[in-house]
Amino acid sequence: MPRRSSFFLLGVLTVAALAGCERRGGCTGSYCGTVINAALAEPATLLPPVTEDVVAGDIGEQLFLKLADVGMSTNTVGDEDFQALLANRWEWDGPVTLVFHLDPRARWQDGQRVSAADVEFTFNAYQDSLVGSPFRAKLRRIASVTQRDSLTAVFRFRERYPEMFYDAVYHMRILPAHLLRSVPRDQWKTAAFGRQPVGSGPYKFVRWQSAQSIELVADSTFFLGRPGIRRLIWRFTPNLQVAVTQVIADQADVREQLVTPENVQRARAAPQLKLQTFRGNVYTYMGFNLRAGGDTSKPHPIFSDREVRRALSMAVDRASLVKSALGDLGKVPPGPMSSLLWIWDPEIRQLPYDTAQAGRILSARGWRDHDGDGVRDKNGQPLSFHILVPTTSVLRRQYARLLQEQFRMIGVRAEIDELEFSVVTQRLQSGNYDTSILSRGNDPSPGSGITQSWTRAGFGGSNFGRYYSAEFERQVDRAIAAPTQDQARGFWRAAITTINADAPGIFLYSLENVAAVHKRIDNVQIRPDSWAALLRTWRIPQDQLIDRDRVER
Amino acid sequence: MILRRFVASVAIIFAVVTLVFVLIHIAPGEPCPSDEPVDPAVCSELKQQFGLDRPVPEQYWRYLVALAHGNLGYSFSLRRPVKDALVETIPFTLQLSGAALLIDFLLGLLLGIYQASRVNRMPDWVLGNITLFIYSLPTFWLALILLLLFAEKLGWFPVGGASHPIFCPAGVDSAFCFADRIWHLLLPAVTLGLVGAAGTARFQRAAMLDVASQDYVRTARAKGVPERRVVLRHQLRNALLSFITRFGLAFPFLLTGAVLIETIFAWPGMGRLAFNAILTRDHTLVTATALIASAVVVFGNLAADLLLELADPRLRVRADVTTEIVTV
Repeated sequence: MPRRSSFFLLGVLTVAALAGCERRGGCTGSYCGTVINAALAEPATLLPPVTEDVVAGDIGEQLFLKLADVGMSTNTVGDEDFQALLANRWEWDGPVTLVFHLDPRARWQDGQRVSAADVEFTFNAYQDSLVGSPFRAKLRRIASVTQRDSLTAVFRFRERYPEMFYDAVYHMRILPAHLLRSVPRDQWKTAAFGRQPVGSGPYKFVRWQSAQSIELVADSTFFLGRPGIRRLIWRFTPNLQVAVTQVIADQADVREQLVTPENVQRARAAPQLKLQTFRGNVYTYMGFNLRAGGDTSKPHPIFSDREVRRALSMAVDRASLVKSALGDLGKVPPGPMSSLLWIWDPEIRQLPYDTAQAGRILSARGWRDHDGDGVRDKNGQPLSFHILVPTTSVLRRQYARLLQEQFRMIGVRAEIDELEFSVVTQRLQSGNYDTSILSRGNDPSPGSGITQSWTRAGFGGSNFGRYYSAEFERQVDRAIAAPTQDQARGFWRAAITTINADAPGIFLYSLENVAAVHKRIDNVQIRPDSWAALLRTWRIPQDQLIDRDRVER
Repeated sequence: MILRRFVASVAIIFAVVTLVFVLIHIAPGEPCPSDEPVDPAVCSELKQQFGLDRPVPEQYWRYLVALAHGNLGYSFSLRRPVKDALVETIPFTLQLSGAALLIDFLLGLLLGIYQASRVNRMPDWVLGNITLFIYSLPTFWLALILLLLFAEKLGWFPVGGASHPIFCPAGVDSAFCFADRIWHLLLPAVTLGLVGAAGTARFQRAAMLDVASQDYVRTARAKGVPERRVVLRHQLRNALLSFITRFGLAFPFLLTGAVLIETIFAWPGMGRLAFNAILTRDHTLVTATALIASAVVVFGNLAADLLLELADPRLRVRADVTTEIVTV
């Protein structure tokens, strides 16, 4: 028996020794790095037009190039701040015609040249209802894309506006027509190409291990310069805590968003990590449903009253909430926007935190505590409502409790409905809710997100509360059509002031992103709208290489 | 007799699948895979494309017809056939459950025997309390604690996953990668197996003590048979009958535990697949995982019953007598 135990122990030790020690590989030099990203969710496909998945977008940045992309400023007006990618130059041929000249060095990873036919094919695919691209609506102002010659693509717009260039380049990743033409458009969502893509970007697809990882390898012949990191791996984890723990335990190199102050603290204590802060693209708000629960033809008995909404907004001390829940990680947004947008301006007029004034407004609207139970009421109806919040978000659940307490202070009863995300989505879409704490991601253009969430264009879509203000929409239209950024900024300021005064929601916080990156990685450039957009510029100096950087296969 | 029980097993699986299909369809929630509310237009296009907008009876009929042809359907959240996803994930769940079962039974059996041989003495008392403590722990809590302690703090084990993404990706087979797989498997399997082992130990101790008072054990001792032989040959052999029953009962526990453990340890098995499918309301995938899980449980129990009859001749005799009475 003792001999058997010894054998067992020896076996366990051998296994641990074999597995615990990383193998030494042979790669040396400036292009040997490996970066493992601790990703949260696995995408269903990597075919860009049919997915809005965040991880698919990050991987798409490496595989499929755009014609050009926004710069570090994330300015979306005009074309000055844009960086050339597949197109090495462009020119305006009249007020609504934009001509792109493709870089003749650009190649698909199967060796074919990237051509204007690919650009035309891509636009038609994104526009095709059979493909059902979520980006289709964002391209509605482009009338056509044609090829003048094999390396020249011509975009014609329906009208002239400041973000024409942005619309032409930002939403579409150019696809290989010769590989996708034979795939029926109604089958793109499930196409095999989406799990084994061939692109024109700095990295090539290697393998996809379901529920585990996706691996890319640098294309050493990439026409814009060899990427500094040789291998990129997205390792899928089921939740944020596991992802953060992987980075802290030195089993991954990057976690681009730590989200909570606790995670930041944990990552700060890990000696091998450095933290990098960048502007976030998400804002969170408590949205009021302005229509009766489940019946959009009737006004909501409480929130259709603008003054009541204003009073509830004034009852919330947003600055203190941000400080207590997020510390330095959050900011109070000056309206429905994240700090990513160039229209972010803390000077925009907002409703003040004033509980006395909030109480006076409610009393003036007939909401008084007639029966002395601590809750205001009117015509026998208590001033009471539900806050809908998804169980998946710890932060939003925490905020729901803080808001509940703040409302209680002015005699308003709020009950919290914590529900599974799919149920929250269903309730939002059917309008069957009072209020909900929602998070919204912005792309760099203020026009698209605000229009979809806060104007009539979003009815039946993302404007769940069905907020409508003719004045606000007029101001938004003027801002979108303004010829210069300075003029647009003025119109946006007016529009945001209007929506703040109407209070269709309480704009709670905009998260600043903190990325945890392994210290051995150099030249870490993070563009705020897409952390992975400049991954090809990251480097690991030769003297900093560790075993997993060197391994050869 | 076996045929009748086989048919009953199939009927049970069919009933489970039907129930799951109906429940997942009437449960509130939108089948739209996203962390944030997506545009309803995009969502409805997706539902239309995958036939999720059709009436439930029609969807059920289509599902049954497809199932009869061996087609488990198409997962809209994964954008691929359900069969492909299951083929990839089931082996991982089998590895995890198999390893956990091994730990559960080996450790549980040894502890149970040891406790029974030291009944009402200090080791029995200490182990009894320890096993009760472990048995009372929620599996997910134990998993999180072990993960934080052994993976994050001590760094002895990997934080999730089934293999090292660089050294041992798919298709790379070597002794090193085998060891790497075991290294990744140890923490989740121990978590799952430990709680089971605590239960098995208590179960086995009781069974051993039950047998200890039997005449043949007393006779063996009176004849001067050495104690080790009495325990291993006379007591354990008969106490193992209840162990086989425990084997059948272990399947539901292992499968339920696998959902939690796979999710916490990022183990790419069927449990994690089912968990994500429920969250995204992927009806086809949920039903398929329920089908597999119920089949494993039902046939596992059937196998346990048959093994029991094989091991215990008294049961066979009783079954024959019952059959005769019914026939007469």
